[in-house]
Amino acid sequence: MKMRYRIVLAGNPNCGKSCIFNALTGTRQHVGNYPGVTVESKSGVFHLNGMEIELIDLPGVYSLSASSPEEVVVFEELTRPGIDLILNVIDSTIPRRSLYLTTQLAELRIPMLLVFNMSDDAARKGLRYDIPKLETYFGAPAVQTVGCRSDGVRSLLEKLAGILENGHGRRSEPMLSFGTDIEDAIAAVSGRIDALRLGKYAHIPSRFFAIKLLEHDSAVMRMAEFDLVHDEVERQIRHLREKHAISAETFLADRRYAMLAGACRDAISMTQERRREISDRIDLVMTNKFLGLPLFLAIMYGTFYFTFICADPLMGYIEEFFGFLSGVVRDVWNPETLPFLRNLVTDGIIAGVGGVIVFLPNILFLFFAIALLEDSGYMARAAFVMDGVMRKFGLQGRSFVPLVLGFGCTVPAIMATRTIESERDRKVTIMVLPLMSCSARLPIYALIIPAFFAPKHQAFMMWVIYLIGVIIALGAARIMKSTLFRGDGEVYLMELPPYRMPTLKSLMLHMWDRGRMYLRKAGTIILFASIVLYFCNTFPEKKQFSKAYDVLIEQCADDAERVAALENERRAEQMEYTISGRVGHALEPLFRPIGFDWKLATASIGALAAKEVFVSQLGILYAEGEVDEESPELREQLVENYTPLQGFCIMLFCLLSIPCLATLAIIRRELNSWKMALAEAGGLFLLAYLTTLIVYQAGMLLQIGTSPIS
Amino acid sequence: MKERKCSWNCHCGGESTGNETPHHRVGSDGEMTLADLPIGVSATIVKVLPEMRGKKKFADVGLVAGTELLMEAHAPFGGLLRVKVLETSMALHRDDAAHIVMKPEGVLK
Repeated sequence: MKMRYRIVLAGNPNCGKSCIFNALTGTRQHVGNYPGVTVESKSGVFHLNGMEIELIDLPGVYSLSASSPEEVVVFEELTRPGIDLILNVIDSTIPRRSLYLTTQLAELRIPMLLVFNMSDDAARKGLRYDIPKLETYFGAPAVQTVGCRSDGVRSLLEKLAGILENGHGRRSEPMLSFGTDIEDAIAAVSGRIDALRLGKYAHIPSRFFAIKLLEHDSAVMRMAEFDLVHDEVERQIRHLREKHAISAETFLADRRYAMLAGACRDAISMTQERRREISDRIDLVMTNKFLGLPLFLAIMYGTFYFTFICADPLMGYIEEFFGFLSGVVRDVWNPETLPFLRNLVTDGIIAGVGGVIVFLPNILFLFFAIALLEDSGYMARAAFVMDGVMRKFGLQGRSFVPLVLGFGCTVPAIMATRTIESERDRKVTIMVLPLMSCSARLPIYALIIPAFFAPKHQAFMMWVIYLIGVIIALGAARIMKSTLFRGDGEVYLMELPPYRMPTLKSLMLHMWDRGRMYLRKAGTIILFASIVLYFCNTFPEKKQFSKAYDVLIEQCADDAERVAALENERRAEQMEYTISGRVGHALEPLFRPIGFDWKLATASIGALAAKEVFVSQLGILYAEGEVDEESPELREQLVENYTPLQGFCIMLFCLLSIPCLATLAIIRRELNSWKMALAEAGGLFLLAYLTTLIVYQAGMLLQIGTSPIS
Repeated sequence: MKERKCSWNCHCGGESTGNETPHHRVGSDGEMTLADLPIGVSATIVKVLPEMRGKKKFADVGLVAGTELLMEAHAPFGGLLRVKVLETSMALHRDDAAHIVMKPEGVLK
């Protein structure tokens, strides 16, 4: 007896497939991506009566055509040899819709087990299934399950064991006929395919491909193997069109639904009661013309609060922990032995790792919330409500949630774009997301606005800055959609699944997957980048200072204030000497037209690590030490050295310019392209530079805010 | 078979009269498109116009001739329609829905 089996799970979206997958494999699953697309691949292993079973969870699809990336993936997986059994999960509450896919799976002639899931709900709805009749109809054994609870899948496991151990999967011919006219065409085409003697697809009946060819399925039409039969296909299609006057693409879908209508009438009895389901009643409120939008905004606020406010203390603990850790290392590691390595470990590596892990609470909390919205079925409603507004800007309903999350942190927001099905809309959303002013930019505004603007204008200035980000983001989306990402969008068709109570297990699994993915893929890049930045901000070390600081400090060792001032002065000198300082000096001519001196240019480089570093770096450069945005001394320095116009330009530039490296790393990861990530960085720099240039030069010309305060 | 176009480009086969207030709303024999189906009304698909984009995708979810639909809701802004087809709620665009010809009250000729 064979001991290892390969089983695939196939079914419609929202049919409870993932629930069955989770119930069978538990936590022993592997989540990855199909190469080149954003479709997730899930597989897991479980044991049954000593047999090892590899279970592959295919993405949910309605059909085996090639009209979405998911369908292409499913088609490719199913036509690959080596599948021992297909578990076809069917939502018993909506048999006609779910069995449509089954009619196509049956044509593959791979052993199949029909899993009529949610049979308890179906019974409540008044649906009675004649299982033996359905088994003969589809030529495959069938079993009824009741969803996610582990006792619900017991019947499935028993049946599965029986099939694998005794070969009960032996199937009879399915009783699926398209009618003599179409069957003649199929026979003619499959005869020609048989004559080709294709070794590669010997495990799949030629009838399957003949049907796909007659449907003009783009994936099969592209296969070079079938080029030789295209003339026969066209001849048959012409013949059918002349005889039946039906469009070639859809006549098989028509017939399939007609066949199913017959089968369902025959094998499924239905009590005539058509009561309104609870789900529809919830929707009367949730997608209500007047209540829909306020409810959506309230739920968004809740998500935002949960992600950023509830996770905040955890982030504080993580920061404290890493601060403590580097303190411990500093204490036990004698400064005399390998001082370079000591600094690299404490300031470079530990700080770098901390910088990666500090986002983890955000990401875990956010994805818990998103999984809750997604699994409960609300996300589709939110997209339905917001679609009209977002479409005006070239985006779609599902873009809204990530854009709002962008006000908190761009990194999890970009990960949240995975719910956008259209590849193009997703790309555009990711590209404009860094323009939504994230919370790390807040310290910059909080430093500058009180320094340069009167209290009564402060709130207004803050509002203006955020608004500029939103307007440019939406404008950029609009422009990108009509230039770079032009063309008729994909056809929009979205299911609004009935509301369901999500299981804690699936929420936790989802959250864990995302957290792991973030740490593994983005974490490594962020860590590397922060070490590089550490080098730029530290080396080369200055040995010869303009003053003999050590001597001076020793002379006034009692005057703590004076010592601190001297130390800060020395740090400023050291910073100017480093690579960052030198690059800042070198870039000064480039930055002067937008009102920046070398200090601001240097601080902008530091801001690549994380936007808020701009403030502390500027503090060091102005010899105020490592200060935060509340520092009155740094504000005084700013007011002395810059005009309000320059102050505004600083904020504008920080808002629009290259996002932090964590964001670039996640863009690269999600778009799977270094080119796109670099283009994004270059594009944003150009945007920031040009916008600030126009504002600064116009301000200079019109003499707005050019006179220093004081 | 060549269809005569009215200025609404809806292939309803109607005469172009020049002042079309949605004249394809009520066609020659009580037909209308899915885009014009009022909320809460059921109707049966008569045909899907051949020039519709992504016909196969719609066909795969059951939008084929003979299927009965219920217009459940319109999105608050813009053009999404929510339609119940084969007991599943689907959201699609009004522009696409305008290519699906319906006959109300489930009567097929």
